[in-house]
Amino acid sequence: MKISDVIVIGGGLAGFMAAAAAADNGQKVSLLTYGSGSLPLASGAIDILNSKAPDEAIKLVLENHPYKKIGLKNIDAAAKFFVDVTNKSDLHYVGRLSAQIPIVTAVGTLKYSCLVPESMDATNLADKKKIFVVEIKGLKDFYAAMIADNLKKYFPEKIFETAKLDLNLLGGRDITCMDAAQILTGNEQILADGLKTLNATEDDAIIIPPILGLEGNSSRAAVKSQLRAQIFETTCLPPSPPGIRLQRAFIKFLQSAGVRIFENSKVVRGVVEGKKVTGVVVENSVREKIFRAKKFILATGGFYSGGIVMREFDNPIEPIFDLPVFYPSGAEKWSNKNLFSDKPQNFSMTGIFTDENLNPIDGDGKVLFENLHVVGANLGGVDKIFERSAGGISIASAYKGAIL
Amino acid sequence: MSDKTQAIFTGDRCLSCTSCMANCPVMAAIKDYRGPKLVGPAHGRMHFSQEDVEATLEFCSNCKSCDRACPSGVAVSTLNMLKRAEFYKTHPHTQAEDMIAHGERAGKMVRKIPFGATFANIGMSIGKALNIFDKLGLAGERNMPAYASDPFKEFFPRIKQTAADKKVVLFTGCYINDNEPHVGEAFVKVMNANGYEVLIDKEFNCCGSPLVVTGYLDEAKQHADNNAARILEWKKKNIPVVTPCTSCSLMLKEEYHELFGEEKFHEAAQNVFDAFEFLEILQERGEFNDNLKPINQKFLYHVPCHLKSQAIGLPAANILEEAGAKVQTADAGCCGISGNYGFRKDKYEISMKIGAKLFERVKKKDFDKVISDCGTCRMQIHHGSGIKPCHPIEILAAAYG
Repeated sequence: MKISDVIVIGGGLAGFMAAAAAADNGQKVSLLTYGSGSLPLASGAIDILNSKAPDEAIKLVLENHPYKKIGLKNIDAAAKFFVDVTNKSDLHYVGRLSAQIPIVTAVGTLKYSCLVPESMDATNLADKKKIFVVEIKGLKDFYAAMIADNLKKYFPEKIFETAKLDLNLLGGRDITCMDAAQILTGNEQILADGLKTLNATEDDAIIIPPILGLEGNSSRAAVKSQLRAQIFETTCLPPSPPGIRLQRAFIKFLQSAGVRIFENSKVVRGVVEGKKVTGVVVENSVREKIFRAKKFILATGGFYSGGIVMREFDNPIEPIFDLPVFYPSGAEKWSNKNLFSDKPQNFSMTGIFTDENLNPIDGDGKVLFENLHVVGANLGGVDKIFERSAGGISIASAYKGAIL
Repeated sequence: MSDKTQAIFTGDRCLSCTSCMANCPVMAAIKDYRGPKLVGPAHGRMHFSQEDVEATLEFCSNCKSCDRACPSGVAVSTLNMLKRAEFYKTHPHTQAEDMIAHGERAGKMVRKIPFGATFANIGMSIGKALNIFDKLGLAGERNMPAYASDPFKEFFPRIKQTAADKKVVLFTGCYINDNEPHVGEAFVKVMNANGYEVLIDKEFNCCGSPLVVTGYLDEAKQHADNNAARILEWKKKNIPVVTPCTSCSLMLKEEYHELFGEEKFHEAAQNVFDAFEFLEILQERGEFNDNLKPINQKFLYHVPCHLKSQAIGLPAANILEEAGAKVQTADAGCCGISGNYGFRKDKYEISMKIGAKLFERVKKKDFDKVISDCGTCRMQIHHGSGIKPCHPIEILAAAYG
């Protein structure tokens, strides 16, 4: 019978990060996934905390906050490891805990984040003379004029120019950024030639949708080397090339580290002996199969990914190990009617509480399973979307859970 | 299990998240296909209205990458196949489609003629040389799979087995029966070594996979009804049905129920096992015969899409590794042939484009042998890289000496 050192349950950002960190630590890792995880839908930017100085703000979080259990040292190490992993797959990320970096969104606002793809880092945008915003004929959901109009609010003194390139993408279906990125892989010259017609100088910026390939940095390098102006990618609607690049970078890292990835493998329950998990049960269309390991990492996500489900009100459950789930009790406390207000949504604080080893605990603080570590979006205690810490909590908890 | 897994009830779970699009190998290869999300669940909400034909439905290869990518359990590819069947209710099949869907029928015809296999193989090489396949609408670049001189079911009685109390029924599938009987032979040897006598059941039909993907759903239903009834007969006798073909096992275990939704298909499915899944269960029970010659070879393992969909882990890799082999997964995605898809003239290029990454990986030749559980995957790898793979059961059979 095969026994892995570590089984990671969940193929999202936290699951990939945990599998990568454990494998990098010399462990034999199996990764069980169900669905492809949300990275292809994500911007690729990793929010750690919305603050001018996230590292300082992390020191001030409340007792129940996952960051309190993870510790600043591990968060910092996780951020560095994340950048290492992506670099090894030729995907370049920039960033640090002490500041946030601006990126341009698909509607032309600036979003600030701690770790961002180098291709999106808009720090230098403020130093440019002229900003070209370029849309692509046939590419849906990208409007240069709207982006330029909104960016003008940030940079009123700059000259904006919009342009539309025909890259011969049309044919068959509505073209998404993913399609464009796929088609341009190996055919970057048509984009480079189109962008050259703008006659942008080294003092200028060119903003384009995220279409520079679906893997690593090679498409970007091919275009960048031919232009004098600095080129910036925006975020986009899903399927999102920067998220796909990040997913592929992780998969490449995991494959070369010998991690076995088992797709379509829905874990339905654990096999436990006292305070120890010895296996997890995967249910397929006809029977069950037990996967065994010495250590388990639960990275199944929160409400949005089925890591926590609530079939009846006031009774959220964690479906695999039936771990206690903490939540704001009572309908009046559950949600904030003003979706875009400056207050968090209480229901988003729903999740599992852990000790400092990220072992799940009950209401009395007692550890339930000593070799099970809970990481990522299923951790409770904070509205991660509101405080913009979801990515940071995922990579940092996963890193700590994996190297413990 | 309830009818939750019948495909037509899963479409409404779609959140339009686009995960399936990000993982569809056909979309990555061509611009014409509108993609699994739009063609499957989105268009499926039109409830199969006859006038409302989705023009790009033909591009789906039924590799099931979309199903595996879906976080909400939508049976995307099966929705596509159901709609393809609707389409062919009002549109005629071409001669090429008739041919590639009915490999079993052709195989039986060939066997009725003395030296039929030889003539058929010569005929196919002549046909290829004369460009006849191309004119019919088949991929002229490919060799049609050659017929073995004796189909497996014919020479099976000549295989010497010791009678045993423990028995399994081998579901050969068409490819092993007609084209690669040595895989069936290897299976018998492995099962014998593990104390099982192998039976075959001549009443079994083709699993129906080529019929489903070509829009012959009514015929596929007849096959499903017959096969499920046979499987349930064997179930009554406590004799499992085992197959080394991963597309057959997926069809028998999962797709019958997804397509047709009858409870009997679930009941039958419980008696069906992939060959290495079965061996791994023996191993977990401590009943696996590990008296093997050490396998000191390095394998590149192309895991078929239809094995990934079964969620049974990688039993072949585990068993070969325990016998000393080094198994490296190819991790290069779908091979592109997807059953009879790559045999269509108009899909050949797409199929080769999808497989390009795998061919490149295989051509690195940093291994002793390529292994894969699926017959058409093996054909595609051979065609695309010039390197001939084998079924992992052949490796195991050889190790039993």
